[in-house]
Amino acid sequence: MAHPSQLGFQDAASPVMEELLHFHDHALMIVFLISTLVLYIIVAMVSTKLTNKYILDSQEIEVIWTILPAFILILIALPSLRILYLMDEINDPHLTIKAMGHQWYWSYEYTDYEDLGFDSYMLPTQDLAPGQFRLLEADHRMVIPVESPIRVLVSAEDVLHSWAVPSLGVKMDAVPGRLNQTAFIASRPGVFYGQCSEICGANHSFMPIVVEAVPLQYFEKWSSLMLED
Amino acid sequence: MSLQKPLMRGMLGKRLRFHLPIAFSLSLLAAIAFKYAVTEPRKQAYADFYKQYDATKEFNAMREAGIFESVRTGKVK
Repeated sequence: MAHPSQLGFQDAASPVMEELLHFHDHALMIVFLISTLVLYIIVAMVSTKLTNKYILDSQEIEVIWTILPAFILILIALPSLRILYLMDEINDPHLTIKAMGHQWYWSYEYTDYEDLGFDSYMLPTQDLAPGQFRLLEADHRMVIPVESPIRVLVSAEDVLHSWAVPSLGVKMDAVPGRLNQTAFIASRPGVFYGQCSEICGANHSFMPIVVEAVPLQYFEKWSSLMLED
Repeated sequence: MSLQKPLMRGMLGKRLRFHLPIAFSLSLLAAIAFKYAVTEPRKQAYADFYKQYDATKEFNAMREAGIFESVRTGKVK
């Protein structure tokens, strides 16, 4: 989850999110490069005593400030396209979960083997135990096996929602009447938080997503217990 | 004696020839500084973290701390 005064992304918990972090660093480096150049030029332009400072034409500079930005854009585009195609790869998921958005809660269905389904409502602030996170905790978490490719099919039962977990690098719109597919791998065990990311009414900010990644044998025991319940 | 002819033209070009190389150098320096102060350390931090990472040990530590709801200390919920 996010922490106070945080500036950057949350720590990555999936390989795709790690790649996104590194790409963001690369793009930000280019932003700093251009910003430094522009800032220096601005300061030089306002601090000159010269009055006739408008170049009327120069083919050389025109070539430079056409080729150089094009080159910079290619430098950004190549890693960007690489990640785009990386994110689109869905290699034989071990598990498929349906995440359905409602006003104002999520419901999860694990129907690969048996019919397991449950709702996930936000825990009200007055019901939180010490150490739990306000507006982020849910009564039932989406439990997944760690280091396994998971496919999530996202849809909605009423209005638009969006299923997002920043540390896993996942965000997918939940559109009524449409099934959107996304996939991820949790690199390490832990609890990962997200929030609904598409305005959906009064309690849009109060329908969080909690993903719990545990080793496979514990996931199997959990799903058996949930089915018994 | 005659006065030296003042500089009549090329002042902007002279200023640009002085300042633009400094501008480009500073911006490259800023990019290189960001790369070696932020980008590379972050990549190395992630590589180092996962090199020594024992998922089972970390999972058990988190389980003992009561972080998980699907798994409880000692026995499954």
